Amino acid sequence: MSGGRAFAGQGIFIVLIQAQVANALNGSALIFPALEIFHITGFALLIGSITLVDLRMLGIGLTRQEPAELNQTLFPWTLAGLVLIFFTGPLMYSTDPDMYYLNWSFLIKMMCLTAALIFHFSIHRKSVRQGGTSKAVAYMSLTLWASVVFGGIFIGFVNQGLGIGGV
Amino acid sequence: MLSFCQWLQSTAFFTEMRGSGIVYPTILSLHVLAIAMFGVMILVTDMRLLGAMRKYPVAEILDKLRMPKRAGFLLIVTCGLLLFGAKAEEYYYNVFFRAKMIILLLILIHAAIFRAGVYRNGAALDAGGLTGQARLAGGLSLVLWFGMMMCGRGVGYIEPNLFILHARVEPIQTLPIAAPSALPAAGRTGAERTQTMLRVSVL
Repeated sequence: MSGGRAFAGQGIFIVLIQAQVANALNGSALIFPALEIFHITGFALLIGSITLVDLRMLGIGLTRQEPAELNQTLFPWTLAGLVLIFFTGPLMYSTDPDMYYLNWSFLIKMMCLTAALIFHFSIHRKSVRQGGTSKAVAYMSLTLWASVVFGGIFIGFVNQGLGIGGV
Repeated sequence: MLSFCQWLQSTAFFTEMRGSGIVYPTILSLHVLAIAMFGVMILVTDMRLLGAMRKYPVAEILDKLRMPKRAGFLLIVTCGLLLFGAKAEEYYYNVFFRAKMIILLLILIHAAIFRAGVYRNGAALDAGGLTGQARLAGGLSLVLWFGMMMCGRGVGYIEPNLFILHARVEPIQTLPIAAPSALPAAGRTGAERTQTMLRVSVL
């Protein structure tokens, strides 16, 4: 790979790709499935709680409360989901860093995740606080989070740098 | 049942789907996305029945989330049926898949049992406070759905036994004795596995 790619927070990746970390994680057949369960629980909490707010903005579901109030009630869940995915995700990455690094679906997922997080904590948050009347913001939020899930699932189905499908 | 599964996955539709590098993962993504988006609605309902989120009336949560939850369930089940059809024979043997179907059955029984006393009774629960039955319904629902999710993830971890699959189509006796080492690396999809088996049987 091109050696010149440096970015903020590179240190954590250097730790994650150390053989000791990967060996410890790959030592038991149960660790990866366990990480996955927590990862799924995490993104279900994260995306599910955000979806409830988005649906409220679209006039579906818990409509008695203002979007801001609903968002406030569900924020601990969103946060719990974020903590879970950011704890389990990097550990899963470190079990097989080369594979993920070369997997284009993983790269797309990371871009979508970054976009979704930035969107969520800027435009989405602002819109919710101002009454949450923008349907476009709700659709955008749903689309961004959906793209993260698609990116994640496709990781297991694409070949390194070769395209979709086939073996 | 086994022959039904074999027939189902051998239909042109599911053979095509299984072989597609795009359709299969797309449906799986939709399945997982729907679980993520609608699972929290179940969690919210359960937590409210257990006594959390008291600012929100039970009746409101039960009644307003009913239709979204049904829509989500429908989407999840539709995708799930398609995923099953593509690998029906493999899943027939899969112990996690069997466990998952048993839990699904228990979930349906759970819904039938608590329907009148809890899920259609939100206003009374708001007026008279949460009953033990409501808390039980919420707690059981949490356990069942989490078990469902764990089994769902487990399904993918069972390596299919190549020598059982297509047993009726390709009897084991036709395989050469040194089959395990003679077999090429197992393909990802059932279609490729079928090809593998056919190739071996020609040997």
